[in-house]
Amino acid sequence: MTLTSTASPQQAEIDALRSRITTQLEQDTLNLPLLPVVATQVLQLSGDPNADVTKLSTLIQQDQALAAQILRIANSPAYASRSPIVSLQQAIAWLGMNMLAGLAFSVSVQSGVFKVKGYEKEVQTLWHQALATGLYGKEIARRKRHNVENAFLCGILHTIGKPLLIHLMLQNNEHSSDQPSWTIMDSIIQEFSIVAGTKLAKAWQLPEPVQEAIGFYPDGAYDLATSPTKGAMITCLADHLATAIVDPTAPDEEAMRALQVVQDLNFYPEDMDAIFELKDTIQQSVSSFVA
Amino acid sequence: MSSSTSYDLIVIGSGPAGQKAAIQGAKTGKHVALIEQTREVGGACVYHGTIPSKTLRETALKMVQFLQATDVFDFRMRDDIKISSLMTRLDKVVRAHGEFMKEQINRNGIDRFHGRAQFHSAQEILVQGLDGTPTMLSAPLLVIATGSRPRVPDNIPIDHENILDSDSILSLVYLPKSLTVLGGGVIASEYASIFALLGVQVTMVDTADRPLKFLDPELTDQFCHAFQETGGQYRGEQKINTVAWDGFSKVTTSFENGETLESEKMLVALGRVANIEHLNIQTAGLTPTSRGLISVNDQCQTTVPHIYAVGDVIGPPSLASCSMEQGRRAVCHALSLDSGDAPEHIPMGIFTIPEMSSVGLSEQDAIDKYGGALVGRANFHEIARGQISGMTNGLLKLVADANGEKLLGVHIVGEGATELIHIGQMGLLHNIAIDRFVDNIFNFPTLAEAYRVAALDIAKQRKK
Repeated sequence: MTLTSTASPQQAEIDALRSRITTQLEQDTLNLPLLPVVATQVLQLSGDPNADVTKLSTLIQQDQALAAQILRIANSPAYASRSPIVSLQQAIAWLGMNMLAGLAFSVSVQSGVFKVKGYEKEVQTLWHQALATGLYGKEIARRKRHNVENAFLCGILHTIGKPLLIHLMLQNNEHSSDQPSWTIMDSIIQEFSIVAGTKLAKAWQLPEPVQEAIGFYPDGAYDLATSPTKGAMITCLADHLATAIVDPTAPDEEAMRALQVVQDLNFYPEDMDAIFELKDTIQQSVSSFVA
Repeated sequence: MSSSTSYDLIVIGSGPAGQKAAIQGAKTGKHVALIEQTREVGGACVYHGTIPSKTLRETALKMVQFLQATDVFDFRMRDDIKISSLMTRLDKVVRAHGEFMKEQINRNGIDRFHGRAQFHSAQEILVQGLDGTPTMLSAPLLVIATGSRPRVPDNIPIDHENILDSDSILSLVYLPKSLTVLGGGVIASEYASIFALLGVQVTMVDTADRPLKFLDPELTDQFCHAFQETGGQYRGEQKINTVAWDGFSKVTTSFENGETLESEKMLVALGRVANIEHLNIQTAGLTPTSRGLISVNDQCQTTVPHIYAVGDVIGPPSLASCSMEQGRRAVCHALSLDSGDAPEHIPMGIFTIPEMSSVGLSEQDAIDKYGGALVGRANFHEIARGQISGMTNGLLKLVADANGEKLLGVHIVGEGATELIHIGQMGLLHNIAIDRFVDNIFNFPTLAEAYRVAALDIAKQRKK
């Protein structure tokens, strides 16, 4: 592509941002934020067959904000038990180990890693979408008899590169009085989120199937994934479904039925019907998690 | 929808039974259509059954062999061993097997259709593609080979996450600390022994007093002993009240006697059901049996003469080996071809740890049929090869008539049992005398020597 001298100021700004991000990604000078200690430990626990309620409870108690979030979610309409959840232990038992581990990780990353002042709403939409992807992923995996826990984790982390890019773009502009517009940032996010996510996943040593899902979840790429858990393929469809929850302009159900990934998952019309029926439940759960 | 495409033979299902039926038809020069609802050919046998469980078993055994060789190798199994690393090998095996079968089908000029089949009439099949696109096929001859899937009992909330069936158990990505296995049949016993060997605390639960009741008790005794040695426990004569996931970390099983059992995961292996619900068989004039199977005669012919059914949809023995033969013979019968003698003495192989295999009459069957029996035994620890290979827990049992002359049955427990059984099978097929095992020479040192030792055991029991 040739840049002309008549490029708009907005295009010039995009090009400048792109150039900085590209350099950082290519030259390995990416200033990756450290994974919060709590998130690291939660992630380790979620994959540890020896993990027990006491360990996780102790861990969550170390982070007051996280504990409060967990209690709030456990008491939300989507998850409320017959009697009110009044203790963390009770909340943990009610939500379940795997759901809790995923949530705790998500919440702690969300609140602790990326400073995105001024774009809280946009970032929250990204997390809504990621959580919905995780929840849809679970149901797709259940239907395909693939690993449900792995599908959830792949889903909630598949777009981890997006908030990272926002963080980096704002960091690059910290001395500037004018922060880039969301339109500009979004174009950079679309272009670099997979590369950035892959880099972050590697740096954080996320489980291999999750790294694979982050790198290969888009349409046409999941065939490159080799994990028997099929996390990338499952996340691909889950991502489309989740996008429809957060974006009213997303393709409708009929368009989604025609996706290649639906064919590749060997989903028949009744399989998709069953998945579409989960929309309200998932929407309610997502609202509970991230409200 | 346009008019139907005509074939000489339509086979529904590409598992072992359907595949052999289709190939038999194609080799006879017939124009064959093979319909499969999944993308891959091979059926549950390849993707959820025989092939994956045996691959997992082999990998587990290899790991244990390594562990047993710590005096030679500086080897230690990682505490966080993930089952997914075992499954990666499984995935490769399954893919390779699937590709091989696809090639075989293509080579034989069989037309493959990907979609769900349902009878439109007794000779017409409507195939619904993944996108709902219908295709109509017709043929004067049809074979139903749609296989089976795990049964889901009404009172057990299988979620494929914590309470799994024999399909979803293969999706585990880490080894649980504990596993309750519901059932005492082949699938339950196979997985129970594999997971126990991998260090999982396994408890088998069943209504029967011992697992695999259809087998010789001496074989199951050895299996139970080996299972217990790896930390496994069998809880027989148990009736379940409820099974529930506590929402956090354990599955609780409550028994009618008031006891409870807790485990991290549960495998439900309480039988299988035939895949006939999408077929609309009533349109073809067929009615399922009370057990949801398709009723057939000795030639696998249904009550509608031009429709045959083979494999798991017709019920036991539900062995891949038998299903293949059923597929071949059904098509031979339909095309009035000579299919050879009906198979006798079909061996049964159970891939538990240790393996078990059986052919011919059991000791009790022989007594009932012939009024008496002589039994010869060879323990693997008496055989040089058994000692060399460290396979000291094994038994080969020959069943002869009351005079100890005629071979009637062979029952083996121990590694290699499913291969070793074929010597006995050939002996039975050729009505060989017990003394043939005594008079002939086997390779030394091999486990086949056990035949000779067991035959000698019978010989010395004969009345002078």
